[in-house]
Amino acid sequence: MILKTKQLSKSFGGLKAINKVDFELPKNEIRGIIGPNGSGKSTFFNLVSGIYDSDPGSYIEFDGHDITYTPPHEIAGYGLSRTFQLLRLYQDMTVINNVMSGYHTRVPYKFFDAVIGRKKIWDQERAIKEEMMELLSFVGLADYAELNASELSGGQRRLLVLARAIAMKPKLLMLDEPAAGLSPVNVDNLMKIIMQLKEKYGLTLIIIEHILKVVMDTCNSVTVFDHGQKIAEGTPAQVKDDNAVIEAYLGKKMDDEEMRKALAV
Amino acid sequence: MEKFKSIIRDYPFIAFIIAFVILAFVPSVVFTDVYQSHLATLIFVNIVVAAGLNIVKGYCGQVTVGHVGLFAVGSYTAGTLFLYLGLGFWATLPIAIIVTAFFGVAMGIPSFRLEGPYLALATLGGGEAIRLFIENGNFFRSTFGISDIPTPSLMGYNFDSPDRYYFISMTIMIIAVYFSFSILRSGVGRAFMSIREDPICAAAAGINVKKYKILAFILSAMFAGAAGAVYAHMPPGYIHPNNYTVIEMVTFLAMVVLGGLGHIWGGIIGAIVITIVYDLTRPLYKYQLLIFGLTIVLTILFMPKGLGGFIDRYFLEKRFKKKTGTEKTT
Repeated sequence: MILKTKQLSKSFGGLKAINKVDFELPKNEIRGIIGPNGSGKSTFFNLVSGIYDSDPGSYIEFDGHDITYTPPHEIAGYGLSRTFQLLRLYQDMTVINNVMSGYHTRVPYKFFDAVIGRKKIWDQERAIKEEMMELLSFVGLADYAELNASELSGGQRRLLVLARAIAMKPKLLMLDEPAAGLSPVNVDNLMKIIMQLKEKYGLTLIIIEHILKVVMDTCNSVTVFDHGQKIAEGTPAQVKDDNAVIEAYLGKKMDDEEMRKALAV
Repeated sequence: MEKFKSIIRDYPFIAFIIAFVILAFVPSVVFTDVYQSHLATLIFVNIVVAAGLNIVKGYCGQVTVGHVGLFAVGSYTAGTLFLYLGLGFWATLPIAIIVTAFFGVAMGIPSFRLEGPYLALATLGGGEAIRLFIENGNFFRSTFGISDIPTPSLMGYNFDSPDRYYFISMTIMIIAVYFSFSILRSGVGRAFMSIREDPICAAAAGINVKKYKILAFILSAMFAGAAGAVYAHMPPGYIHPNNYTVIEMVTFLAMVVLGGLGHIWGGIIGAIVITIVYDLTRPLYKYQLLIFGLTIVLTILFMPKGLGGFIDRYFLEKRFKKKTGTEKTT
């Protein structure tokens, strides 16, 4: 198990955004997370990556480390990377600097060496830059490396955010709506790139996505959230036919007798 | 030429040694009177402060308006150490840098919780508090100021006139700029920029936001402390609380903003331009503040990345056009 949560809870005032969620994720799996808006998917991500503190009684374990009360930068150091729904691109930095800042946890030299400006720093910096340029050309942004991130188009921004998250060579990559707002062609392209990156780096993936086709096609297993609770889990086919899921998305499934009663009132 | 470029790339300090040699010949070749050396020293002091301010404001994005207070701490550490212990420049400079670093920590702690204009207010209070504390303390000679702070001497040679002190300030400036370049071009500079752009995402990417924020404050405080000590020992060796008011702070800010916030050359270009303009417009002293205020506003409106960003943009567009054959403008 690379990620495990027990009794994970988070409330904002009276609202239980996440309510006693037990979640387990084996290595090398692609897990989809679906659920209606406000069902706690993004909150779940924020809790796991340490951006929010979870309520007392929760337990989160990542790759053998207890990360329940660990600050986000240390969790990233263990090899957990994530993207954000609203991208949070570093708008005023160049594309290459965006990706290189994702490399932070792997930077091999110490701060003091950087102040002195020793030769090995610049050798290592060049090596990092080359590696990141390779990554950029892999996602198809090499030509734009020196432009500001704010000058990219929506689709390119999605790719850049993905590249930045990959730069730290994570063990687990959590993607929060990677394909939101993309045209169908671009969605296919993006998913292809994600799959290639998974193969290349041996990633475990969690994907939040509203485009059900993406989830059903690419994920090994799916977890469904509703009102902060986990209501179903299983293979895409199992989840698709789960009554609780259909209820959460479309409303209650009724047989003829129930329907007659409901309509008679 | 290519070989020369690769040597500079591997050993950037060679470029700074070359700059040192060139600047060393400037007084005897270019300058016509002693006043110009004095002006050059002022420029160098301002460059050091502005380079430090560029780290914390331009790169790390923490809006600090109390930097002049740190500059005052540097000056007055040097001044009081001379006054009570009789220490010379070589002892006061490192002590001033260390003491100012501690004040930098104090100035940086509010940045954990405050942002933008709120942090500006807190640091403004901090900077003014330092000045008022000095002005009202007999220990610091209050409004009399500390006078006759000696110029440094090295192996019997005394840097006692502006054209000799030029070499001291120039050396400190070169070293400071070298450090600022090494810091900002490395992963540390990138971490600062990520915090400026988005602290939450920076944390998720593995950057210890608090640590780097305080680091930015400490580093810039050390620059301010060094500049303050150099300023205190500058002939005629007189410091007064009125040299560290908000007006000076606005001048420092104008330097960084005009040069380009978050541009590696930002503070340096700005310090040179503003100090010279400041000197040339001395007859119009009534309107100077108006001019600098206007400079800040107009620069932010029409050239948000300052002169440095403007020049960069020009070359970038040229390169992009060459590479892809298309125009790319914002």
